[in-house]
Amino acid sequence: MVTYIIRRLLLVPVLLFGVTILIFGMLQFLTPVERSALYVRDIPKTERQVDGIILKYGLDKPIYIQYWRWLVGTIDPVTGERTGGILFGDFGWSRTGSQPVAELISTRFPNTLDLTLWAVAPVILVGIWLGVQAAVHHNGFIDQAGRIFSIVGTSFPTFVFGLLMLMVFYANLQWFPPGRLSTDMQAVVSSDSFKTYTSLLTIDSLLNGRFDVFLDALRHMILPILTLSYINWATFLRVTRSSMLETLRQEYVTTARAKGLPERDVVYKHARPNAMISVITLAGFTVVGLMGGVVITETVFDYPGIGKAAAEAAGQLDVVTVLGFALFNGLILIVANLVVDILYATVDPRVRLS
Amino acid sequence: MRKLFALLSLLVVASMVLAACGGTPATSAPEEPAATTAPEEPAATSAPEEPAATGPKSKDPTTFVSASFGEPDLLDPALDYETAGGEILQNVYETLVTYKGNSLSEFEPLLAESWTLSDDGKTYTFQLHQGIKFHDGADLTASDVAYSFVRGLLQGGGSSPQFLIVEPFYGVGTSDISEIVEVAQVYGLEALADGVSTEEIGGIPYELYDNVEGMKAVDPAILKGVCEDLYSRFVVDDAAGTISMTLALPWAPFISTIAGYWSSAMDKDWVAAQGGWDGSCDTWQNFYAMQPENDPIYDTANGTGPFILDHWTAGEEIVLVRNDNYWREPAKLERVVFQQVDEWSTRFAMMQAGDADFVAVPPENRSQMDALVGEVCNWDEAAVDYVCEVTDDSKPFRVTLGRSSNTRSDIFFNFNVGNPDGSNTYLGSGKLDGNGIPADFFNDVHIRKAFNYCFDWETYINDIFNGEAIQSTSLVIEDMPGWNDDDPVYTYDPAKCEEEFKLADADKDGIPAGEDPEGDIWTVGFRFSGTYNQGNTTRQTLVEMVSANVNSINEKFIVESVGLPWPAFLRSINAKLAPLFFVGWHEDIHDPHNWYVPYLVTFYASRQSIPAEIKSQFVPLINAGVLESDPAKRHEIYTQLNQLVYDNAPGIIGVLATSHGFMPRYVKGIKYNQNYSGFYYYTMYEE
Repeated sequence: MVTYIIRRLLLVPVLLFGVTILIFGMLQFLTPVERSALYVRDIPKTERQVDGIILKYGLDKPIYIQYWRWLVGTIDPVTGERTGGILFGDFGWSRTGSQPVAELISTRFPNTLDLTLWAVAPVILVGIWLGVQAAVHHNGFIDQAGRIFSIVGTSFPTFVFGLLMLMVFYANLQWFPPGRLSTDMQAVVSSDSFKTYTSLLTIDSLLNGRFDVFLDALRHMILPILTLSYINWATFLRVTRSSMLETLRQEYVTTARAKGLPERDVVYKHARPNAMISVITLAGFTVVGLMGGVVITETVFDYPGIGKAAAEAAGQLDVVTVLGFALFNGLILIVANLVVDILYATVDPRVRLS
Repeated sequence: MRKLFALLSLLVVASMVLAACGGTPATSAPEEPAATTAPEEPAATSAPEEPAATGPKSKDPTTFVSASFGEPDLLDPALDYETAGGEILQNVYETLVTYKGNSLSEFEPLLAESWTLSDDGKTYTFQLHQGIKFHDGADLTASDVAYSFVRGLLQGGGSSPQFLIVEPFYGVGTSDISEIVEVAQVYGLEALADGVSTEEIGGIPYELYDNVEGMKAVDPAILKGVCEDLYSRFVVDDAAGTISMTLALPWAPFISTIAGYWSSAMDKDWVAAQGGWDGSCDTWQNFYAMQPENDPIYDTANGTGPFILDHWTAGEEIVLVRNDNYWREPAKLERVVFQQVDEWSTRFAMMQAGDADFVAVPPENRSQMDALVGEVCNWDEAAVDYVCEVTDDSKPFRVTLGRSSNTRSDIFFNFNVGNPDGSNTYLGSGKLDGNGIPADFFNDVHIRKAFNYCFDWETYINDIFNGEAIQSTSLVIEDMPGWNDDDPVYTYDPAKCEEEFKLADADKDGIPAGEDPEGDIWTVGFRFSGTYNQGNTTRQTLVEMVSANVNSINEKFIVESVGLPWPAFLRSINAKLAPLFFVGWHEDIHDPHNWYVPYLVTFYASRQSIPAEIKSQFVPLINAGVLESDPAKRHEIYTQLNQLVYDNAPGIIGVLATSHGFMPRYVKGIKYNQNYSGFYYYTMYEE
């Protein structure tokens, strides 16, 4: 298995190279003037400004030179300083984020990860639990109720459900506000006495012994988590349910029952682990989706994760930022795929990684 | 595995309960939140005969929370050129002079105590207030002020607002220090002595504009000379606290030009300590046309203003705190928080919950807010203020109506459309055959007039602006020299539209189209594209209106509305490919020069390819106007210019929308000055 992991890791740069080629190649469908327009927010005050941008970013150079510049950057002939170059960690300047793209990702990603951390349990585990219950009580009341509940969830567009939650739990009840933190807690966090350990706010606040900050951060995450859960439960419920039903019809389940094992052991020890294979794939992609930023949920609840930043960048055609996020998402996807593969082998000894 | 399930489920439930309980103490508000904003609950208690004491109260009167979208590009006052950053900068930094109250054309000293103007109208001398300190404790000196001006002018570049200041210091038609360097290269440093002439500006190669590398490669002697020449225009006396600056020519709008945040006073030592330019003439070229990514002070600030920049967390919030050592009385608000909330519904919910004191309201959502209005304020031009009346004391908001805008969207004709290799599809076939137009279609004044007569301002005002706009009578806007309520304007008149189309001579055979036996525009018809940027519904409606109206005159007249993605739209204008285009202008300073020049000489005029013989009619009047300091005489000059613009009809002049803003009624002391970026928080307070 170790060799397998090493081999897969060695493939990562190759895959990333492919991703960069794809992303960069697509940009080349635009003319230099059009691409230069991507760098300006308003109609330039003078026509010469556009020429300046083309010159500065070398937009009129052949594609391979531009690609090389994008990879390794350019070196100032006078000062010898390097500007740009994704290989050196410089993803460029985010016009919409008003900071370097790498910095933007590194400040926003922890927020998204924090949300993912707290959302995984309700989204996946509860979803799976619902599916198992539905299968066990096949065609019973729980099964039917669960299905109706989840179908309603899938049919709700995220933003409608999110806004509904916001209106009820924030505008009317004032329980769960949008955003990341309330203003006074934000002041605590930005003060010097608050140490940053992991950049994950909920964990850092506990490590700092600030339980009030922890609660406040959590309070701001409840609505996004509820929204993400509800819209994802349907998929988990259905996949788990059908997978469980399939497994429960297997002969070894009948054997287990014939042996006189209690029904709980039959379901949870024998059937469920085997039904989990297909669910793990789904769970893997869901986690990737969550880590890649949930655009609509983050926007509606004004949660400063990478989904919101990416949406803003895309909306304003901030190509440099969008490219950075695309690369980052590619990386997450590749790593997550690897993790899912390893999980397969752990859950199901029949799968050999070689 | 089962244990894990149980544990996690428990944790989830527990976290929800905890969060729900933790609700109130976490953000403990001084007053009961529900009573403050909920519209259905009349704010009870106090006596009804005292309107000031009733009405809604703020959740936290010490903090003003503004929820909006759009983030500063950078917080360098000399280089930032957009309103989100401008709002921060004008509260953190200060200028020598500022706007007087709500007026756009009257000014009062700020950092300066007073100022004088020399008899030749070229030298301004400012006496600084004594004892003003920067936020870091350093003293403000006259040298700092001179440094700030020189720094701005030298660092300039195409994305900065410094072109506004370059022109008075170097002469009509100049816009960036790179041009001055090139003039020095071509004509020698002596040429700069009394400003740059239009001939000199016309004789340079324009290779250095925004060319960062090119600037560094210029002969150091030239660079140093340009810098020293600029310094020589400023005479400072730190002991006496005076600074005088000499312009290239008497510049009527100079005071209004330097009232903008781009002329803020900065601390030279602080800028240098951050890694910025230290004021030396040997190194300035390394700081030319700086972009945010290279600017060491892009996210930090050290001004003299009433508020101190506490922190900027990009994408989340910017927080200003009160400057308790301010040289005037400290501000009443302790904190101003700008939150980034892109989604309107979220902002609306924050407003309802009383967590935001100001939110940006898109026009299409005004009706939602109108329902919560309990105080109506109408603009009174004579009083230069809003006059308010409480209409329903139980409702939490105040609406401000009726002040005409300093932004306008107009329609521009392209006199000579670019058509490289006949590939411009916006022109249709590119010929007058009923399926296209020739490139110089709009060079015919009758066609331009016909389009004007076919434009229906009333429908435009009613449909797009809900009736909250007035037709602009000239290129300039209300309340400035050049504005007359009764200047000649085009009105919607299908008969005259038809008449003008019949007078046109699109095939240039000398016979008007209405009488041309061989056929002309009236019998053959035309077809071309009107472009707008996708998502801008106002512009889309404009194109569709023009299209429908000319088509109703003659069914062979076809204007196709084409929605383009932003880059393509920008390109269609910049490459002069669009025969008819729709864009807007937001004034930088409240002065006619800031309208006439871009429309008739530089910015839009060049994209419209306005022919030299028409431009040459405008230019003498424009130059005479900006050099005339007597407002009455200036007005006269511009009134003549308006007649020329009317006769030539280079575009269709749009409408001026009137204000429709919302603010909770507990917010008081607001200055309404449209030339501010956002609000000036020094005078504001909450009840």
